[in-house]
Amino acid sequence: MPAALLILVMSFIPMAQAFILSLQTGRGANFTFAEPLWSNYTRLFEDEIFKLTLQNTFIYLLIQVPIMLIVALVLASVLNSKNLKFKSFWRTAIFLPCAVSLVAYSLVFRTIFANDGFVNDLLLGLSLIDAPINWLGDPTTARFVIILGLLWRWTGYNMVFYLAALQNIDHSTIEAAKVDGANAFKTFWFVTVPQLKPMILLTAIMSTNGTLQLFDESWALTRGGPAYQTMSMSHYLFEVSFLKNPNFGYASALSYVILILVAILAFIQLKVGDKRD
Amino acid sequence: MHAFSKKVTMAVAVALPLTLALGACSAGGGGGGGGAGGDENTLTAWAWDPTFNINALEEAEKVYQEDHPDFELEIVETPWEDLEPKLTTLAQSQQFGELPDIFLMQNNAFQKNGVNYPDLFSEIDTDAVDFSQFPEAVTAYSTVDGVNYGVPFDNGTAIQALRTDVLEEAGYTIDDFTDITWDQFITQAEDVLAKTGMPLLSGQAGAADTVMMILQSAGASLFDDEGNPTIDDNPALDEAIDIYTRLVDSGVFVEVNSWDEYLGTFVNGSVAGTINGIWIVGSIQGAEDQAGKWAATNLPRAEGIDGATQFSANGGSSWVVSSNANVDLATDFLATTFAGSTELYDTILPTSGAVANWIPAGGSSVYAEPNEFFGGQPIFADVVRFGAEVPSNNTGAYYYEGRDAVSAAITQIIGGADLKTALGEAQANVEFAME
Repeated sequence: MPAALLILVMSFIPMAQAFILSLQTGRGANFTFAEPLWSNYTRLFEDEIFKLTLQNTFIYLLIQVPIMLIVALVLASVLNSKNLKFKSFWRTAIFLPCAVSLVAYSLVFRTIFANDGFVNDLLLGLSLIDAPINWLGDPTTARFVIILGLLWRWTGYNMVFYLAALQNIDHSTIEAAKVDGANAFKTFWFVTVPQLKPMILLTAIMSTNGTLQLFDESWALTRGGPAYQTMSMSHYLFEVSFLKNPNFGYASALSYVILILVAILAFIQLKVGDKRD
Repeated sequence: MHAFSKKVTMAVAVALPLTLALGACSAGGGGGGGGAGGDENTLTAWAWDPTFNINALEEAEKVYQEDHPDFELEIVETPWEDLEPKLTTLAQSQQFGELPDIFLMQNNAFQKNGVNYPDLFSEIDTDAVDFSQFPEAVTAYSTVDGVNYGVPFDNGTAIQALRTDVLEEAGYTIDDFTDITWDQFITQAEDVLAKTGMPLLSGQAGAADTVMMILQSAGASLFDDEGNPTIDDNPALDEAIDIYTRLVDSGVFVEVNSWDEYLGTFVNGSVAGTINGIWIVGSIQGAEDQAGKWAATNLPRAEGIDGATQFSANGGSSWVVSSNANVDLATDFLATTFAGSTELYDTILPTSGAVANWIPAGGSSVYAEPNEFFGGQPIFADVVRFGAEVPSNNTGAYYYEGRDAVSAAITQIIGGADLKTALGEAQANVEFAME
């Protein structure tokens, strides 16, 4: 009960207030209801920068989440194999990135991908490129660096979920498949993966949710640049609230759009993924 | 039915962190010092740099204590990135009681906060502070609707700082770069680049600092007198962007991606100069092996723009007396220190490199002392002299919207986009933000 009360006060009431705020406009702290009420929402459809951040966020989502989950799954099954040595070392090493402070890792990534950074030195040294690549200065490569950062940081995190789930799979099912003559891949695909399905669903929803709310990488690695090409929706939300002339009504509308997107995607994933009942 | 409710629970569980995050945006703040609550001899102040403006506050406290032995100043270190959201949060939630007596504000953000949240400020009594002793270009930042809300602190007057040893290698002296036009600058800088391999300038890609400095050097800005954006029909801006594009294309201006990289270009000696606010001297002097090899002069002028001068500014900040302050004490403190004490400015110049906006301070002997790092040049006296000639321009409440839109446009133009199209988009984005 106290927990429910806390959630009500800390979460649902502000949620309702934010919704009311999203229907209001005004300069500074003087708000009046917008005319028409939903004008903050219609405004979003005319906002070129918002559309760009929406597009950026979905690029991150569509490229990063599938790669991350597949790699995490593969790593988990490799680490779960009985013959692997130094198992806990590998597990720790792969999980460690997500224990690293966001700012610290962003700084390291920025240094590595600087014009005179490690990656350029390496590529130049191997004669793969003639001139340094301006990694964070070009929209395509800057997005690539952000996706790489996300992969580096979150793959291990998801892997741990899969590992936990793998421990719970009855080994006899895999033995049975082997006895029936299935090769390693077939065993993995037809026996292991179906049993991991609830966990895959959970990680997919969590990652989707996390990516839609992506802020840190966009802020710390590129500041959304060049020319808004790498800015995420949440980063834009922050800009609208605190860096530009504050427009909290509009910002609340933006946050509700993110909420609705998360809810829709989670719902679709549940529909597609969960066929048990 | 059971399945449905489970899905709803799931969706809510997924959505919850988001709302928590938003909740955290609107709550929070607070902390710090409770302004006027304390006793009547104590002031609280927010500032952000321990080696710079906080140091200046500490010295000002000592100066004020000479006549007011009971006076105490409580300084709360608050980075600007935190200070501004804090102000926004307090104003938005009407919790003015949480404000300190005095806080420091970036000059470029002054109009925005003044227009949006006038309730944060107390008017500065013009009988106590003589604003005519500050350059007009500087007081303009903190004047909203004809009322002064800030006492100018550090000087953002721009300098052109160059490596004399590199110039010499190419057969030039600092005089060849004084009182010149941008055309002359580019020709000579290309020559220096060809002879020594060293570019003269660098900057963050996508930052509009250089373009904004060129604009201000002619008293131009991105807004007209009514505050309407004039990005797509602004000959001064077109010319400034043209200069910037030519600088980058000719290779004499190196674009890098972060502030650290920018500082690194001249500290590590891969770039032989920079143009920025005088506060950049602190970073230049970080490279001790380059001592004696620098000189500073005025900026090139943009001949194609009406009213172009050799003087401009970038950055700088001003002290604000909050609406929650012990107004009399806070005003008197600022009036006797930052707007009335050469002793203070003489102390903080060597310790923190804070150059005064207060014109009488420039006459002091400390300012006239030769600076060894700059080959014996009394650069601070020069800067105060430059400062008095910087044209005033209208930053407007939407300065950041304008600057960021122009930054995005510059990125596109450097990447090959059409100038008119890119600036038209920038104009549309700023107009959209102002609706």
